[in-house]
Amino acid sequence: MASHRQGAAFLRVEGVLVRRPGWAAAAWLAGNAQEVGERLARVGNVLASLPFQNGPLGDARLAARVTWMGLRGMSEDRLVVLGEEYAERFLIPNLTDSGRRLLSAARGRGLRPVLVGTGIEAVLRPLATHLGVPDLLANRLELRDGRVTGRLLDPVLAGAALVDGARRLAEELDVDLAGSAGYGATGDDGLLLGAVGLPCAVRPDRRLRQVARDLAWPVVEE
Amino acid sequence: MTPPPPTTPDDERHPSAGSGIRETLAGRHLLVTGVTGFLGKVLVAFLLDRVPELGRIIVVVRGRGRQDPNARLRRILATSPAFRPLRERHGDGLPGWIDARLEVVAGDVAEPLLGLDPSTRRRLRGSLDAVVHVAGLTDFDPDPRQALRTNVLGTQHAADAAAELAGGRLLHVSTAFVVGRAEGLVPETLTPGRAPTGATFDVEEELADLAALCRRHELPSARLREARARAAALGWPNVYTYTKALAEHRLAVRRDLDPVIARPTIVECARHFPLPGWVEGINTSAPILWLLSGWLRALPSADRIHFDVVPVDDVVRGLVSLLAAQLREEAPRVAHLGTSASNPLRFDRALDLTGLAARRLVDAPERRGAARLARAVMRRLDAVPRPYDRASYGLPLVRRVARGLRRTLDELEPQEILPPAWYRRVGADLEARRKAWARECRDIDRLIGRVEEILRAYRPFTHDHDWVFRTDAVRALTDRLSPEDAATFGFRVDDLDWRSYWLDVQFPGVARWSWPLLEGRRAPVDPEPDWFRASSETRRTPAPPSRRLPGEAAE
Repeated sequence: MASHRQGAAFLRVEGVLVRRPGWAAAAWLAGNAQEVGERLARVGNVLASLPFQNGPLGDARLAARVTWMGLRGMSEDRLVVLGEEYAERFLIPNLTDSGRRLLSAARGRGLRPVLVGTGIEAVLRPLATHLGVPDLLANRLELRDGRVTGRLLDPVLAGAALVDGARRLAEELDVDLAGSAGYGATGDDGLLLGAVGLPCAVRPDRRLRQVARDLAWPVVEE
Repeated sequence: MTPPPPTTPDDERHPSAGSGIRETLAGRHLLVTGVTGFLGKVLVAFLLDRVPELGRIIVVVRGRGRQDPNARLRRILATSPAFRPLRERHGDGLPGWIDARLEVVAGDVAEPLLGLDPSTRRRLRGSLDAVVHVAGLTDFDPDPRQALRTNVLGTQHAADAAAELAGGRLLHVSTAFVVGRAEGLVPETLTPGRAPTGATFDVEEELADLAALCRRHELPSARLREARARAAALGWPNVYTYTKALAEHRLAVRRDLDPVIARPTIVECARHFPLPGWVEGINTSAPILWLLSGWLRALPSADRIHFDVVPVDDVVRGLVSLLAAQLREEAPRVAHLGTSASNPLRFDRALDLTGLAARRLVDAPERRGAARLARAVMRRLDAVPRPYDRASYGLPLVRRVARGLRRTLDELEPQEILPPAWYRRVGADLEARRKAWARECRDIDRLIGRVEEILRAYRPFTHDHDWVFRTDAVRALTDRLSPEDAATFGFRVDDLDWRSYWLDVQFPGVARWSWPLLEGRRAPVDPEPDWFRASSETRRTPAPPSRRLPGEAAE
């Protein structure tokens, strides 16, 4: 029996909607810490995560944890305000045309858009608001006494955990995954795209391109 | 001295036990001082806007220059943003609507019985329900002569008027900082004759000594120096808190009064009424925010101390609640109106928010004329708290350099240095530049002097002491209000979102309404409505509000 539940369109922020990596936001935030003397150390902390982003040491969850440790001690006020500034200055003006088209097309097909990102809520929520998308799957930083502890709250959304997060959100929203679309750009997005009924690779990297070819997924180049 | 009579015909006309605020205030007549000041304007506008059932508000106004009191108030009603909601609601009908509710009487708080003439007093006697005394000098270190006249004697005169005309009912607006250097959790109490140091003193003797020093010294600076010393010896950080405290101590021992003392903390930009962000004059935070939006980045401050800012409209709501309670004979004797007890804003957070707000300012269109490099640098420098000795270390050095440069430039004679042929070619231009640079060095010297004076005046409040002002009294009043009354008149600062308030209301508010005064310009006023322009009354250009900073000494 066909499902009467609505389908969703899971759009990866990093790679599909914008071409900036998630760690760039962390580096920028760290470089705008309140104390000038701390900025270099904080940025260095973020850059220390780069070896874990891809390649032989690639560990998406570890990379995510290390990336955001550099914000330890930052006030919640600064996190929220600078997150908005980052989105306004670097994400919104650099939305890809293909990303906008895919979002519009998904809405046209009656799919419920969901933004999925490995960045943090403070940075991605303003982007989602700008796009009129209330549903966002993103990492969140732990706060204590109004300050960032440097820890990401569990579950850390990266790799396989991103798929689990998408499944949980789909349950909450009563969304039919089989009738949902997924748009990804990197090899790490392969799991997410494999979980939906309508996967699509967008300007895929080498790994995802190979998977798309093997599984006959549609590919959007621009 | 006998206490006021327990019942009057007024009580029979206005049964108020268990009534809401509007019902309690319906038909009441109030005498209000200080309507030409920031808080007074908002209070009167709020009463007119939210309690139209009120009988009559009689405002005591002093003429200014050739502008008589009526003309002065009319201009305020026509152009002050405080009355914008009323102008928008009533349009050309405002004058008639106001005339039925508001009366201006000529007077002066510095004069006995507020300078009201005998016929006015005869007319008001028996019909007034309360005197609301808002007038006062709010400069940190005003000329002690003026502070004595306005803050101490002015309060005495308002109290005398209340005793004679309003059955002794006086709502006096003081300041929470009368507590002086006695920091910590501050209760809502008043112990006459007890100084913040714990020492006992005779209030009348203290006042006599203060008056004597004012007579003794011709120079304001000498008066101020000695008055500051007297204040400090008893535990008050400045002349303002000292004189406001003396006024309270005198009220507390009078037996012909039923006073309620409201002690607001740092009164700042309106949250909602009359319009978000509105503030008048140079209040406490404006100079600090102004400095921190320029090149000063290190503020001498103890980061965890409380910065007890309270929006003016919240203060007004608290005052109206206290007034209604007073008329119902349910009011506390002393009530703080602040945020530190229930929704604290600490200084480190205020500085962080200021830095974030200043980032937006750097990119504002009116600032884009500044050099790109300067803007890029300023966007990347955030305000930070520093211990006092470390924060100010840069300023004396810069000042010495500026003075040295100026001396050098003043003594420089290009004609003696350059060969004649060169001097003929470039001498005039060099002379002009030399003079311009010397002037700039002088301006830098003066600016730093001003900054140092501000930092010195603010030090007790940003660095040396920490206060948390209890607000149990006004919160208890709010808890007893109906939901409808609580929404309009409740003192509810728990829901104040500091981030949103600071970034979207407070910072833009002081930038728009206060900084022009700091920069030698006028604050914006609303355009004159048709009914005012068509008025046959003589209009005079109003004198600009005081540009002296809260921490600057009187000249």
